[in-house]
Amino acid sequence: MRASNRANAHIMLSTLLTAASLFLVPALAVFADEAWNVDYHFALLGAPKEETSFFHQPNPSSRASLIYTLSEQHALGAVNPRDGSLVWRQLLSSDGVAYRTSFLRAGEGQDVVISGIGHEVAAWSAADGRLVWTLSTDGPLEDVEILELSDGKETAGAKDAVALSSGANPTVQRIDGASGAVKWQFNIDGSDAPYQLSASSTQIFAILLHKTILGYVKLRVVVLDPVTGHKVDEYSLNSENELSTTENIVSVGANSASPMIAWTDSLYTTLKVNVVGTKSIQSFDIAAHDDSPIEHVKVHAPYHVNSLSHFLVHYQTAASHWADVFHINLKNGKVEKAYSLPKLAGRGAFSTSTSDANVYFTRVTRDEITTVSSASHGVLGRWSLNTFGVAAGIGEQVEPIHAASEVSVKGDTVSAIRTTILLSTGDWVMLRDGKGIWNRPEMLASTMVVTFALPADAATLVQQLEVEAHSNPVAAYIHRVQRHLSDLQRLPSIIVSLPQQIVKGFLGTSADDLTASDTFGFRQIIVCATRGGRLVALDAGSPDKIVWNVNVADLQPGQSREPFLASRIAGVVEVSSRAGAGIQYNATNGQPLAERLPVVPEGPQVPSSQVVLYTMHDGTLEASFNRTPAWAFTPMHGERIIDMVPRPVNDPVASIGKVLGDRRVLYKYLDSNIALLVTAQDSMGTANVYVLSTVSGAIIYSNVHTGVDLTIPIASIMSENWFAYSFTNEASDEASKGHQLVVGELFESLVPDDRGMMGATTNFSGMQTATEPFALTQTYQIPEVISKLAVTRTRQGITSRQLLAVLPDSNGIVGIPYGAVDPRRPVNRDPTKDEQAEGLVRYTAVLEFDPKWFLNHQREIVGVKNVFTSPALIESTSLVFAYGLDIFGTRLSPSFSFDILGKDFNKLQMLATVAALAVATFIVAPLVMRKQVDQRWRFL
Amino acid sequence: MLLLTPLVFATLTSIASAARLTVSIPSSPPLLPNPASLAPSTHAILLGPPGTRYSAPLRRDNTFAFPDLEEASYLLTIQSRDYFFPPLRVDVTKAADGTQEQTIAAWQTFRGNEWSNKGPQYGSGKGTLNIQVSPSSQKDFYQHRGGFDIMSFVKSPMILMGLVSVVFIFGMPYIMDNMDPEMKEEMAEMQKKGPLSGSNGAASQIQNFDMAGWLAGKGSGAESGGTVKKR
Repeated sequence: MRASNRANAHIMLSTLLTAASLFLVPALAVFADEAWNVDYHFALLGAPKEETSFFHQPNPSSRASLIYTLSEQHALGAVNPRDGSLVWRQLLSSDGVAYRTSFLRAGEGQDVVISGIGHEVAAWSAADGRLVWTLSTDGPLEDVEILELSDGKETAGAKDAVALSSGANPTVQRIDGASGAVKWQFNIDGSDAPYQLSASSTQIFAILLHKTILGYVKLRVVVLDPVTGHKVDEYSLNSENELSTTENIVSVGANSASPMIAWTDSLYTTLKVNVVGTKSIQSFDIAAHDDSPIEHVKVHAPYHVNSLSHFLVHYQTAASHWADVFHINLKNGKVEKAYSLPKLAGRGAFSTSTSDANVYFTRVTRDEITTVSSASHGVLGRWSLNTFGVAAGIGEQVEPIHAASEVSVKGDTVSAIRTTILLSTGDWVMLRDGKGIWNRPEMLASTMVVTFALPADAATLVQQLEVEAHSNPVAAYIHRVQRHLSDLQRLPSIIVSLPQQIVKGFLGTSADDLTASDTFGFRQIIVCATRGGRLVALDAGSPDKIVWNVNVADLQPGQSREPFLASRIAGVVEVSSRAGAGIQYNATNGQPLAERLPVVPEGPQVPSSQVVLYTMHDGTLEASFNRTPAWAFTPMHGERIIDMVPRPVNDPVASIGKVLGDRRVLYKYLDSNIALLVTAQDSMGTANVYVLSTVSGAIIYSNVHTGVDLTIPIASIMSENWFAYSFTNEASDEASKGHQLVVGELFESLVPDDRGMMGATTNFSGMQTATEPFALTQTYQIPEVISKLAVTRTRQGITSRQLLAVLPDSNGIVGIPYGAVDPRRPVNRDPTKDEQAEGLVRYTAVLEFDPKWFLNHQREIVGVKNVFTSPALIESTSLVFAYGLDIFGTRLSPSFSFDILGKDFNKLQMLATVAALAVATFIVAPLVMRKQVDQRWRFL
Repeated sequence: MLLLTPLVFATLTSIASAARLTVSIPSSPPLLPNPASLAPSTHAILLGPPGTRYSAPLRRDNTFAFPDLEEASYLLTIQSRDYFFPPLRVDVTKAADGTQEQTIAAWQTFRGNEWSNKGPQYGSGKGTLNIQVSPSSQKDFYQHRGGFDIMSFVKSPMILMGLVSVVFIFGMPYIMDNMDPEMKEEMAEMQKKGPLSGSNGAASQIQNFDMAGWLAGKGSGAESGGTVKKR
């Protein structure tokens, strides 16, 4: 009885809140005035690849060009060079499959770009990203090229493409540029592995790799007629003893007046060049320029048939780089070294641009950009760079990785140059004449884990107050005086900003004022750990720029990393991984702190609650309790565990019951040690759902769904006393085909004002008493797949929760109010008055996602893998951060902003009303006075 | 941490007589007068039996093409950033007359209803089928706040009451002045006797109401209440 009284008191507040929100339920939505201000979004592509990033004019009649790229995340997109905004984007691998190679080609004067990835060649409209045609090949693609023929036999419009595929039947196909139909197909005989395609204006060359008995690689060239597809010639290059791996093949040129193949020996001492179509191989010695060995050699050649046949070879060591420019004599096929570009410190990036037949090479180093003509070494343009304008670690040298340029030349000088550079920090920047124009934080596209942290300055005040509380009064007093004296130093700046703040206070709303102090806790630092081993921090209050960006792990290519992030102490971020000791970082500036953390143990990690640690072992879920095994969950034969979601560690619940319309209480089954487990039985096509008590391992709720499509993600979430999961099922007699969302809620008993088994007890142990909750579940038919579920979190859990669902098909995140999916919605009858008072509406099987529920509104959030939520300092608000390919963040108030004046509060209107009333009072007062006086004289 | 299996998209196996479905989006004013304005992310999803799922991006000619469909019953949904499209059911079945060509048919379907509950047919064909699907409605993402509107401000009861009282304050003396003296006298008499004036009038009763006494529960109503006396 006592417990119930206390519960009632607790419940009062939440009832008031729900009652307040009930009147407004349909309005739980994205407001037009908040839409583009409160939320933020980085529409990312991922790190662009050098071979697949270029400038191209989408409309042949106009000179305006866009930057096209096919990134390492297999996102194809066009970026506006003016402001860095995304024009269009297509994700070519939505299922997370990583392809070894991908290709992107654009023919000169063409309005399409042609991509090749996996088994699929596709042409995309360059201006708007619509599909033009697609063709699947039998084997995986090895190369795609555009035929730039000069025989005038092909159609005037679209240029044809050639594709080389490997697999069981390696083939070369010529694809019609307009329709995507195969014009001819050439089957390559023999067991040689197809490597690349190369095309001159008259012939197509398929380059194959032939493995010799000694383990060396021999290059075999098959020459094809582009019109008929018949083999014209075939020969092998004498490269036996130098080429041991394909990594030493520096380049196979394509689409140039005279394509060539270049390779080196494994020690990078000589460079061998062969002009494709001839059998002669010329060798050039590579002179050592410094002590460190050469790391890689790259060839940069123009990509046009009618350009000069010049190319540049770029040598890179750990400390410096230099380059040689070579000319090919078209008449005799001789290659000559023309000139050298001197050695410069650091990394360099070279890019090739063409203007008519002329070829220009642009060199980007850490401090300057220079452009030279391929014909002579005279510098046509030089721009010095102070900084790339990106956030980097302290003392870190930002280096260019690769670049693409667009040069316009007038006479002997470069009149304008636009260069996009991928930097070692992961940023993709655009420089116009050496000045930074925009910066795309593409490293965030590979974010693996994130955490929220309080800024260090907010944390220091808390720490200082703690110091004062825990020392003796005299010391505390001295400390306090000192603190106030140091605070006094900020007085002048405060006085200066005072008038501005007053004006702002009158005109703006409190939610706008995020600049000065963060009373609401909106300005949290979001730290992202990327796959590339960097730690990137954003400020949730002003998310437009990166706060800091440090390198935390030097990874070798191909090395994978599984970082773990946490912020246990305010103002400090901890990074740990299995690879090495963890490090702590200052959340505000990214400086490493001294403390070292233990290495994370091996084995697959499952999200753990504080007391129970879960590990997966041979498909069995094992829980240990203070490092001693507690229980194990072994699925039935043929059943595999898909996902396990425990209740979040920090999941405050304000009320232990639900108040009904008639003021009675339904008690929630609140146990901090419960978890939702989803398993699949592939042979039967069934999905099993269990709610486990993680202390005893007992199953307290279970359900089976048949006819489930197990290839489509099953998302699940657990919070408070309820759980939700979604799946896709096949049509059957009792179910319709489509996607379903199931919401279940656990109660101590289904009788109001009754706590069931636990009636009088204040403490109970899941080990001793077997209490089974009463579960109410309801299934809703939803319009599309949910790939991930999350829930909003607020500081004290008073605010009602909102279910966040990631929709991969409509590129969005939808915030479903809990009231809309409440399993207590009355079925087959209208709600009673009491139920109406609670906000329950009649159950309908279909739950349509209202467009107003979309947190992203008109933005398109692509490739979201996870959604992270964090409470703000004020109770009404939860911070939301979604990551994957795109980065998206917003603030949500599921029960409306009851503790902050939002945009709906019109300060001006209030002031005007006060002023009008004041004026009215001044005018009316003498009148009333006169009237009263008159009245006295008249009637008395 | 997740043990989700990667989504397996069935690869298109080329069958000589596989059915081909083309869905086109016509110009449908006033909702969508120009289908070329659809976002490039618009795509159609064909969901077949477990493990079969095809996704087709929007083409330059405002169509979606599914070249090779096996015999099954599919759910076709079109996802667009700005528009809702009705869900369709597409059935690919063996031809009744035993020819090589498959029969392909499309109907409207209704979410949350039995799969056999089919709506109007969109079309049927042998081997290939071209259907046209128009958007059902436009998505409205934004909630507009009730901004300041002078008419609604004036219409609000508070303001109306204020206006009426203003009219009385300014208007009454004017009316009184223009009344003939007899009428005025009558009015004054009535006011004296009226229920609102005088020491026992309603107005003075309200003014002298003993709140504390009433709250303390001294009797019910005015009969035994505090200073209010029954005559």
